[in-house]
Amino acid sequence: MVHQYKLGGYNIVLDICSGSIHVVDDVTYDIIEGFEKETREALVDSVAKSYPEINVDEINECYDQVQELKDTKQLFAPDSFEPMAGELKAKTSGVVKALCLHVAHTCNLNCEYCFASQGKFHGDRAVMSFEVGKRALDFLIENSGSRHNLEVDFFGGEPLMNFDVVKQLVAYARSIEKEHNKNFRFTLTTNGVLIDDDVIEFANKEMSNVVLSLDGRKEIHDKYRVDYAGNGSWEKIVPKFQKLVEARGNKNYYMRGTFTHQNPDFLEDIKTMLDLGFTELSMEPVVCGENDPARLTEDDIKIVLDQYEKLAELMIERDKAGKPFTFYHYMIDLKGGPCIYKRISGCGSGTEYMAVTPWGDLYPCHQFVGDEKFLLGNIFDGVTNTAIRDDFQACNVYAREDCHNCWAKLYCSGGCAANAYHATGSVRGVYKDGCELFKKRMECAIMVAIHREFGE
Amino acid sequence: MEHIKTVSTRNLCDSAKNGGCGECQTSCQSACKTSCGIANQQCESQNK
Repeated sequence: MVHQYKLGGYNIVLDICSGSIHVVDDVTYDIIEGFEKETREALVDSVAKSYPEINVDEINECYDQVQELKDTKQLFAPDSFEPMAGELKAKTSGVVKALCLHVAHTCNLNCEYCFASQGKFHGDRAVMSFEVGKRALDFLIENSGSRHNLEVDFFGGEPLMNFDVVKQLVAYARSIEKEHNKNFRFTLTTNGVLIDDDVIEFANKEMSNVVLSLDGRKEIHDKYRVDYAGNGSWEKIVPKFQKLVEARGNKNYYMRGTFTHQNPDFLEDIKTMLDLGFTELSMEPVVCGENDPARLTEDDIKIVLDQYEKLAELMIERDKAGKPFTFYHYMIDLKGGPCIYKRISGCGSGTEYMAVTPWGDLYPCHQFVGDEKFLLGNIFDGVTNTAIRDDFQACNVYAREDCHNCWAKLYCSGGCAANAYHATGSVRGVYKDGCELFKKRMECAIMVAIHREFGE
Repeated sequence: MEHIKTVSTRNLCDSAKNGGCGECQTSCQSACKTSCGIANQQCESQNK
């Protein structure tokens, strides 16, 4: 399967199954387009008509070079992965290597667009006790097989509303990781309200990554991210985030924003984050119900697609100015990126990744928490709902019918099971709006990577 | 004349032979939390 597109002055050709990427001239671009559809003679003839200034010998030369790429399986490589997809996913299943710990089902902000319904996940307010958290960490170690790197995300609600337990759990994990030959990598996802010097010191010492929620422009952020009295939180949290990031050195962090119907022009929010001195950025489309006023409309999506292209241009400009920044969804490591197992298996929800509620229930991921149909079991008795687990285990990119003919399948691995479920009622469906945005992001990310390799 | 520049990429077919160590980051864990994509994940295999 081949996908070709023009962006940023480049003619880009992706060979999906080999993972090869080629940048070609106009004539070669047209030859590749017709290569599998026409005879050589007819194709060379029609391309010659489109480019009367180009000598036919040169067109033939292009044709030969395309043929050579095909012969060496760098173009039109056959899809050899489908028959082994189930087996490949099985190889990465059967162990749990990441937990999202819901240490607080409560929040000090009252953001209307929250997929977790203000942190409560459609249930009662609750915080995780140290005992439950400790058992969750033991459960993770017991079920992690030979995996060395284990990930734990302190999530909520607002995890800093249960900061003492977070600290105790990290201390506990550090005390047992060596004897079990494990390496815990912690992430903290916070709205920033409770950040103080103690939190900064702890997070910068112990957290491999911190995810800081900021929607960008003050007026945009303060529309949704308000306290229970309705006051915006931007003024309060931005200086705290700046202090934390400044003290963080080279350790990972992301400023993570959500864009909604009010700001499909989210590039302005990215620019605000840059102006505030942040360089590791992520902006995500809102996840919400069909009738939610925050939902992106069809017209919004057109704007968003254009914004993604402009974002790529901004990245290139900032590279040139010596002020580069990272956009989470444009990070792409073409040389050392994920292997085919990962590309087929996806996020691992319900198999290698699970969410734990404050009282120890297990769900396939944080986005399913609160929907009892998806209750997998608990950290005391393990996974008891094997039907749901098996459903997620069988969920690979080739198990999704809509993904079969999609060029992006090995870049997205079938997408988010929760988004698919909410859009179609099945975890093996696809969330079509999400697909459209994802494909544009990949086209842009690859273009930026090409520019970084070949551009002046 | 150079008509095609090929970007150096990981060969996915080869990765079927020795991939799958599972040490890489869980895709959703790092920043997004509301979508999935694996292209931006780093490979952590010691045996690429």
